[in-house]
Amino acid sequence: MMEYFAQALWIYMYAVLVAIVAVAIYGVVARPNIVKKIIALTILADTANTFMIFIGYRLGSTAPPVLTTLSPSRADIAGFVASAVDPVPQCLVITAIVINMAVTALLVFLAIQAYWLHRTLVAGLVSKLRG
Amino acid sequence: MIPQFLSPFLELLLAFSLTLALVLAYFAIVQRDLVKAAVLSAGQSVAYAFTYYLLAAPDILFAYIPIAVGIYTVLLLYAVSKTERFEEGG
Amino acid sequence: MRPWMAAATKACALVLLIALCVAILLGATAHTPSLELRPLAEFYLENCLNPYDKAKWAASPEAVTAMLWDYRGLDTVFETTVFFLAIIGSVALFRFAEVSLASYESKLRERREEGLSIIVRVVTRIVFVLIVALSAAIALHGHLTPGGGFQAGSIFAVAPLLAIAAFSRRFVEGLGLTKNSCLAIRTTGLLFIALVALIPLALALAGVGAFIIQNQSKPWTPEFPGYPAQLGPVWLAGSLILFNVAEFLTVGSGFTLLFLLLALPEDFFRRLVKR
Repeated sequence: MMEYFAQALWIYMYAVLVAIVAVAIYGVVARPNIVKKIIALTILADTANTFMIFIGYRLGSTAPPVLTTLSPSRADIAGFVASAVDPVPQCLVITAIVINMAVTALLVFLAIQAYWLHRTLVAGLVSKLRG
Repeated sequence: MIPQFLSPFLELLLAFSLTLALVLAYFAIVQRDLVKAAVLSAGQSVAYAFTYYLLAAPDILFAYIPIAVGIYTVLLLYAVSKTERFEEGG
Repeated sequence: MRPWMAAATKACALVLLIALCVAILLGATAHTPSLELRPLAEFYLENCLNPYDKAKWAASPEAVTAMLWDYRGLDTVFETTVFFLAIIGSVALFRFAEVSLASYESKLRERREEGLSIIVRVVTRIVFVLIVALSAAIALHGHLTPGGGFQAGSIFAVAPLLAIAAFSRRFVEGLGLTKNSCLAIRTTGLLFIALVALIPLALALAGVGAFIIQNQSKPWTPEFPGYPAQLGPVWLAGSLILFNVAEFLTVGSGFTLLFLLLALPEDFFRRLVKR
């Protein structure tokens, strides 16, 4: 019975992540202020990263992919491979975090520049003003 | 990465932290005061950092906490202080 | 636009969003966490510190850092390029931001209006030193325990941020972190990364067997001995520690540059906008 409850909780967690994706897409599309769009975009990117870590988790293990000794024996390595979580999604997510942060920093600078030039932060009006 | 006595409760803790993240993300997006929205999005990042700890990802934790709670929040607060604080109504 | 068109667009958008969410949910639940790992993950976990099979090892007990800078090093080099371009774009956008700032700041100093109260200043002095020490420690042991260059650079960037808020921008520039010096430190870090990554490539083009971003020696390129994995009792993981320190300098100074550019006083900015 406890296994069914745990399985149901995993599906509930995926449903919650999908709900956060839906709320973030609503925020990007339906809110006219550029700073609110940037907030929603960062939430969307972080949720995509969390999805990847979820897929890489190994059920029942609490060991990060770090060996604890500098001269492991064969038994140590075999135990490590049998109990650690997947390191590949973690490597990809670190790259994704840094790239998203670089893009967000540039977006914030562009938003300030757009306000400097057009005196407004509403996305529809900024695209209609000319020169 | 969590201690052994907490491992039967892993799914419950994960469900709790993700539900907290959903509630904070929803309030961050419908909030019209942009300073409060930035602080709520920082709270949602803390909930995600707890999730990364529970899923045994320490490298990501060390990279995610200063970037999401430190740098994003400060960039947004700088942007709000140099432009307008409240969103347009309607 | 007729009024029913707006409602129809909203209905279509809602249907599309619900279909997208159901698709993601059905696709994701097929991957509820399993008890087995994929073969690629088992390869990386088994060979990142395997003294019995030195043809495939990366000399680091930390699988994620070994993958970042050795097995998948080219991804990380391009990611550093993206970060570099974003910082250049931000500096270019705000290149007019230093005009006549000095006289405005001296007026503020006379009126004693810059910075925060004395409690905040005392606490910031203590926390600043702690943050810098912690970030240096995380950069230097990134090849042995969780940590590394990006993590340390991001943590380091919080310290000048606190100092700009609690003291003033002029105080941080007095510490030696001006815009030009941050650009110089960042360029030094990037040059170091390029050197460590491209020396094996230069050797390969000169005829010695090696390949780009090579860490340890491989049996199919036996002439290049690789970077040293161990110097006496100290475990350097080949090129990983060099990459970590250079990336720490790059990321830390890049973020400091961003905050120095953004920290213009609000009145000054509004006066610039009105002109």
